Amino acid sequence: MWRKYLALSKAAWALIVEYRAQIVIWMMNSILMVIMLLVWLSISREGAVNGYTAADFVAYFMLGWFVRNLTAVWASWELDFAIREGRLSPMLLRPIHPIHNEIAVNWVEKLLRILIVAPIITVVLIATPGVQLNLSPLNLLAFVISVAGAWLIAFMSDYLIGMLAFWTTQTGAFIQGFYGIRLVLSGVIAPLAMFPQAVQDVLRWLPFPYMLNFSVSIAMGRVQGEAMLLGFITQWAWAAFFVIAVWVAWKIAIRNYSAVGA
Amino acid sequence: MGSLRAFVARKYRTVKAVDDVSFDIEAGEMVGFLGPNGAGKTTTLKVLSGLLYPTSGTATVLGFTPHKREPAYLKQFTLVMGQKQQLLWDLPAIETFLINQAIYEIPRDQYAATLKELDQLLDLGPLLKKQVRKLSLGERMKCELAAALLHRPKVLFLDEPTIGLDVTMQVRIRDFIAEYNRRHGATVILTSHYMADVTALCDRIIVIDKGKVLYDGNFRALIERVAPYKILKLQFEQPVACEQLAAFGDIASCDGMTAVLHVPRSQAAEAAARLLTQVEVDDVNFEDPPVEDIIREVFAGRVAGLGTAHEQTPAVNPAGAG
Repeated sequence: MWRKYLALSKAAWALIVEYRAQIVIWMMNSILMVIMLLVWLSISREGAVNGYTAADFVAYFMLGWFVRNLTAVWASWELDFAIREGRLSPMLLRPIHPIHNEIAVNWVEKLLRILIVAPIITVVLIATPGVQLNLSPLNLLAFVISVAGAWLIAFMSDYLIGMLAFWTTQTGAFIQGFYGIRLVLSGVIAPLAMFPQAVQDVLRWLPFPYMLNFSVSIAMGRVQGEAMLLGFITQWAWAAFFVIAVWVAWKIAIRNYSAVGA
Repeated sequence: MGSLRAFVARKYRTVKAVDDVSFDIEAGEMVGFLGPNGAGKTTTLKVLSGLLYPTSGTATVLGFTPHKREPAYLKQFTLVMGQKQQLLWDLPAIETFLINQAIYEIPRDQYAATLKELDQLLDLGPLLKKQVRKLSLGERMKCELAAALLHRPKVLFLDEPTIGLDVTMQVRIRDFIAEYNRRHGATVILTSHYMADVTALCDRIIVIDKGKVLYDGNFRALIERVAPYKILKLQFEQPVACEQLAAFGDIASCDGMTAVLHVPRSQAAEAAARLLTQVEVDDVNFEDPPVEDIIREVFAGRVAGLGTAHEQTPAVNPAGAG
């Protein structure tokens, strides 16, 4: 399997180099977090907000920017196009599930994003006085695992939504809607600690916080011990849910697939 | 108003794309699928390649049930669609080839050998390094075929492989398919609008229309049945009496200076010889009736007692998608 991934990744890299301008523009998209940082910095000028100082906001949004780049997905658009234009047919004829190509492309693109974003983030975090992070090896490991979980939830939920194209021609609206919800509830606009407690208590059980807020909170040392454990259980339960959902939905979808326009 | 109604209350109706199509194809055979647009040719190929689930009936190819899409099956056939491509648009074709090598788990030396052979047959050479989007349609089709054959499939489903190509390129692709079949004993099922593709490649044809098989059998036999005559085109030095020509065959047209006769195949040579001795002929020309006309006759249902002339046991038997 790794050979297949290697081949897919090589082609993906070649494509990314081909589309480099486009990738940079997409990255601008994720710059929303930098803008939100500026907003929250101006709010926190008077003092800490819900336990977040200016330095905490810098840490939150910089780490958030990092995680957001690592969990950026667009497989739903690709899938939607492929299904509607019948390009899925040739993909289905190959002895490999089309999802593997999307995964390979996604990972390779991550590499490019990190190469560009990581240095900026590192500089900002070091240059800002008062930034507090928990970078113990164990905590770093927890951060990495949480990002992996975040990616899995983000990718699989996105793929699941893209699969709606098997049934409806208007998947775009669903994708946009889901992106919007994700933007607010995963913590892109504001750290979830800014939300009323009642909202936070509900969110805890939803997949959204585990796509961004959870990982950032771990790196900032704000989730520990039992809370972290519970967080991981919830995160990976959602990840498993989406993996299984994609698997099951695919089985059903492929039966309905009428191989349009070929 | 109508469009508003369509917005709130859509009507769906079930259309049978393929209905009771049964046939059996031997390994190594080349079979042509003929039929007008929407006849069910592509649908049948999609069922055979596992893209469609038949709502009823069964299909078996190489002992596999296509719609289960087992990797072992997927590795043994290929579907080339003239209007769909698998090549990555923005990269050179060789990149897609390398992906296919990995995905189909083609051993390195076999890959090299196959690529060399395909290069020989199709003259791929410089094309492989050019971005696919910069290739002409014909060049792209050559690369598309090569990409589809790298894993040396035993069964080829070719759906309009020559669509949009000029005559030279059509002949090129056709020759290639024939050669591939000869070398590897691959089974080929071909659909095409271009009658020449089918006449050049296939001994056997299956004519389908509106999802039903109108004819299945030997191509020559069909021609002889539907058009058991040759067309004799004559040009005279001096005006002749048309009645005089009736002795040589059925007069299809005659204006005194030129005439077209339908002569039974078995008597064609003898009739021509007789004619040349008895009439002052300026030019004489024998032709087979155009295949298009023959097929049109079949479509029009004017050919009696056709059915499925082919002797069969229903092993490959895709039927009914609703």
